[in-house]
Amino acid sequence: MAAIVRPAPPKKHAAVGEEHLVPVYVWELPVRLSHWGIVAAVTVLTWTGLYMNHPFLIFPGPRQWTMGTVRFIHELAGFELIGALMVRIYWFFAGNHWARWRQFLPLTQRQRRSLKAMFRYYTFQQRKPFEQIGHNTLAGLTYIVVYFLIACECITGLVLFATVEGSPTLRFFVGWIPRVIDIQWIRMIHFLFLFFLMAFFIHHVYSAVLVAMTERNAEMESIFSGYKFVDDETIDEELKIASLEPQQLFSKRKIHRTRDWDR
Amino acid sequence: MATEESILDTCRRRGISRRRFMEFCGTMAATLALPEAYTQTIAKALGQQRKPVMVWLEFQDCAGNTESMLRSPHPTIEDIVLETLSLEYHETIMAGYGKHAEAALKRVVDEEKGKYLVVVEGAIPTADDGVYCTIGGRTALDIAREVCGGAAATIAVGACAWDGGLVRSNPNPTGAVGLHEAVPGIKIVNLPGCPHNPVNTAAVLVHYLTFGVLPALDPENRPLFAYGQLIHDQCERRAHYDAGRYVQAWGDEGHRKGWCLFKMGCKGPEANYNCPTVRWNNSTSWPVKAGHGCIACASSRFWDTKSPFYERLPHPAGFGVDVTAGEIGWTVVAGVAAATAAHAVGHVVRDHFHPGEDEVAAKEAPKTEKPTTEVH
Repeated sequence: MAAIVRPAPPKKHAAVGEEHLVPVYVWELPVRLSHWGIVAAVTVLTWTGLYMNHPFLIFPGPRQWTMGTVRFIHELAGFELIGALMVRIYWFFAGNHWARWRQFLPLTQRQRRSLKAMFRYYTFQQRKPFEQIGHNTLAGLTYIVVYFLIACECITGLVLFATVEGSPTLRFFVGWIPRVIDIQWIRMIHFLFLFFLMAFFIHHVYSAVLVAMTERNAEMESIFSGYKFVDDETIDEELKIASLEPQQLFSKRKIHRTRDWDR
Repeated sequence: MATEESILDTCRRRGISRRRFMEFCGTMAATLALPEAYTQTIAKALGQQRKPVMVWLEFQDCAGNTESMLRSPHPTIEDIVLETLSLEYHETIMAGYGKHAEAALKRVVDEEKGKYLVVVEGAIPTADDGVYCTIGGRTALDIAREVCGGAAATIAVGACAWDGGLVRSNPNPTGAVGLHEAVPGIKIVNLPGCPHNPVNTAAVLVHYLTFGVLPALDPENRPLFAYGQLIHDQCERRAHYDAGRYVQAWGDEGHRKGWCLFKMGCKGPEANYNCPTVRWNNSTSWPVKAGHGCIACASSRFWDTKSPFYERLPHPAGFGVDVTAGEIGWTVVAGVAAATAAHAVGHVVRDHFHPGEDEVAAKEAPKTEKPTTEVH
């Protein structure tokens, strides 16, 4: 892997440390879009859902449509969430190396090392998080759980929607579920998983900020821009493991754009 | 035995006017969601059709469905359809007893095979070979198999006959099940509800007499005309729900004004029944109209799945009876928030007492960098 042509290090990062940091286009547009789509949807769904479970605002006036409006927004946001999740699931199979499903599971030796190292990092046993271009494996496993929770929310939401919306198509797909699990348990699962997502949200924002502060690899910026700054060593190791060609890591157009953006 | 009398003949004999009879036919057509013209069809059928023989079996029950049928202020035609539909056997109201009563049942099963109708009330115990409900020395399961097996159709009235109801609710010591589970493969119409609404039961019979077939059923063999729609969608308090006006406590301003009972645990949004349109006691009222939330008594396993009746959601299993889903959820969120805060504090404390390379570098960095920025 000696003859990799790499772009010159951006100046402001070179000034920070000795490392040769290279911008790598990690998060493609569908990944970022689905991420922010999920954030927006879950935020709206949380507030509207809490209201729908326990209407904490009472409007005694004669011409109100509060619950009707809240329910409508909840349903719209629900379909947006389903759309975002479907984009992400499609990108598990169609996306770049770091978006694919293999990144989320401890399949390789390196990923298992990452899992152990990240556990040690979070329990104060080591100072630096594991250097990985995409998700670290502990995060990957967490996201698998989160995607599962979101999928459960979407399905239970559709089941509940099917009880008010007389769509034969929808009933064909989810109408059998309440005959297996009672509709009240479905409603309870739908409600309970909301809190797990809320708890995940707290942890996710915290650990992202923490790792970004420790690694100084533009982790927080990367979910807006798509670029992470990675050192040579990590790139070499990942290239070797993934048997990727360097062209797959750096496309000229994208690096050019980064340079513009970085100036 | 089987009479040559029609339902109209019985009504005449009981002093019920033709006008009242036609009103009944109109009600039945409306309940069955048939066009108005079918009133005449129904009237004709009830005037001509010979009344089929019917038996009424009671197993693990409280006779509540019988009561629902009998206890009306004056005999309605619904009662007459049900009560005098050549009811050859009904434990609560028949005059005969002992051997003679059992002989009447046996006679129907033997002589009218494939032609009689059976109404079943109550759950059927299956634990310990069904010893928890026996009649004349035979188990409920045994009787149900024989009587329902030879019937033209079986109507399971009430929650217990449908899926075991109260008898089957946790912990179900007698192993009670509903009729279609106890005796699978029979031609059955389920009319859940605690109790059944006699109007619906009469409508099923009228449909059978008029068209010779049972009404359209859903996958759980409940007639669609009665169980096809959510209570919530037919409720007269629905406008208050959509507007966001809720009863907050029993007897508060909202309760006095007839606002939505959603926050008081009303199960209307998850219950399918025609309660709001058919109502009870000669269509006088129904629970929500009277100011009490729906308990979804026509839903499957409602004692277990729809309780607590005065709360929105069931309590998750395995956390103790009083712990709600919301409490568990907020505890998880608070726990993660606290752990996160503690972790952040841990980081700050560690970096303060045991600074790493980065922290050392950060401390020294300003000294070296400052002059360069000032030069510009």
